[in-house]
Amino acid sequence: MNFDLDIFMDALTQRAPQYLVEHLQLVVIPLSIAAFIALSAGIILTRPGFRHLADRVMVLFNAGQTIPPLAVIAIFFPFLGLGYGPAILALTIYALLPIARNTIAAVSAVPREVLDAARGMGMTSWQVLCRVELPLSVPTIMAGIRTSAVLTVSTAVLAALVGGKGMGAIIFAGINFFRPELVLAGTIYIGAMAVAMERVIAFVEWLISPAHLK
Amino acid sequence: MITLDRISKTFPGTDIPAVDRVSFQVNAGNICVFVGPSGCGKTTILRMINRLEEPSSGRITVNGQDIMSLDPAVLRRTIGYVIQQIGLLPHKTIEQNVSLVPELLNWPKSKIKARVTELLVLVGLDPGTVGRKYPHQLSGGQSQRVGVARAMAADPPIMLMDEPFGAVDPIVRIHLQDEFLRLQQHLKKTICFVTHDINEAVKMGDYLIILNMGRLIQMGTPLEVLTEPADDFVLNLLGDDRGVKILDLTRCETLMDRDRNFPYNPDSCLIQSVKPVKIALELMMKKNIDQVGVCKGERIVGVLTWNSIKEHISRVSRDRP
Repeated sequence: MNFDLDIFMDALTQRAPQYLVEHLQLVVIPLSIAAFIALSAGIILTRPGFRHLADRVMVLFNAGQTIPPLAVIAIFFPFLGLGYGPAILALTIYALLPIARNTIAAVSAVPREVLDAARGMGMTSWQVLCRVELPLSVPTIMAGIRTSAVLTVSTAVLAALVGGKGMGAIIFAGINFFRPELVLAGTIYIGAMAVAMERVIAFVEWLISPAHLK
Repeated sequence: MITLDRISKTFPGTDIPAVDRVSFQVNAGNICVFVGPSGCGKTTILRMINRLEEPSSGRITVNGQDIMSLDPAVLRRTIGYVIQQIGLLPHKTIEQNVSLVPELLNWPKSKIKARVTELLVLVGLDPGTVGRKYPHQLSGGQSQRVGVARAMAADPPIMLMDEPFGAVDPIVRIHLQDEFLRLQQHLKKTICFVTHDINEAVKMGDYLIILNMGRLIQMGTPLEVLTEPADDFVLNLLGDDRGVKILDLTRCETLMDRDRNFPYNPDSCLIQSVKPVKIALELMMKKNIDQVGVCKGERIVGVLTWNSIKEHISRVSRDRP
């Protein structure tokens, strides 16, 4: 197997870029759904009435993380078939855990005396959540979203195996036809996208972080 | 005015009540100190008054209104709350922290700003430099002052203070206590004050409520408690210097001899009648004399002697048989 620079340059400039938008969709859509579900779950599980359930639900999320994404697709194949939908579903399940875990950890870590004082001053539970618990939890929650994003960028490559398209298409084509040029070109984009996502989310995190930490 | 009527509290999962049928009344304008060892229920009682805890049985009224009939959040906005750990919101500036309750009450912006400045000055902080800082940039003493300012922001008639000066070193603590007592002379708030330190209790309290294992053991003015401790527990709590504490709370006019003639000369030692006997004693020891003249303004009204002090302490602080 020899490395052909022309094929590599062609893959890098012509073939791979067309998959970028598809791949970005495979990352942003599952990540958004996962963030919504995990944040809601994390907030509900830190309310006084549900706190005792937190451990059990975390076990569920942990289990979700141990199932390989391909297996998730296999499990849902009879219901959803192959293609875009199952890929999105598998990636969503995969992205849930880091966000949920960090949300629960962050909200639980808000100092007791701060909550006590906030309630004692006459804030309602909703005001305590929106004005105290969530603002103070932003850095840790955003760290969870960042982890999930990077994870999803690389996992989304597998979507191509079930007809879910994305950058995986060019990488698996390279593997199947013994063309490392294609694999390398695809991988470079994946790496660049992971770094770019990470930086963008870090910037958003900085924007919405509590003022005393800036 | 705050009234507790046979209040009990048993926490879920325990059999022994944390608070056991406690009844008392706190009069308007008074500082009422709950004192006792840790676990005696004093903090629980305090937290039931603003409904951070709910009593298992009994009734609490504030100004005649049963607090269970009020929305907890609305009730709490009318009651100042200071805790030992202070609990300032770390992501808000000192100004924002102090304006918390006025904002919840929807005061107009300009009124809040003026009030915050006024309060920071009142508790001895510079609004210009401290106001824009974040809590982690303050010293312990400064944070405590902000905690008190925040509790007073909406000018609540009632304040609950849970070891408010507990987290600072002894020198700052005495300073904060003195300042607070000076403020209270004008503000005349109704205050419930929790402490485990009997010296602080005697100093701050118009009225003491002594608690042990959830039960109310004794209530009364500091002087009443010091001179007539209800049982050995109270006696132990008061410590070995009960006599000296009594001298701190007894005015010279109480012990002076009105009929004796005081041999006045320009060098003789005089003391005002409202001063505590402790100060007279200090004067006697320093000057190595046995008596001082007691005056009301310019006029000498009696004589306070070394013997009368000794006899008084011996009489009131004799251990019960």
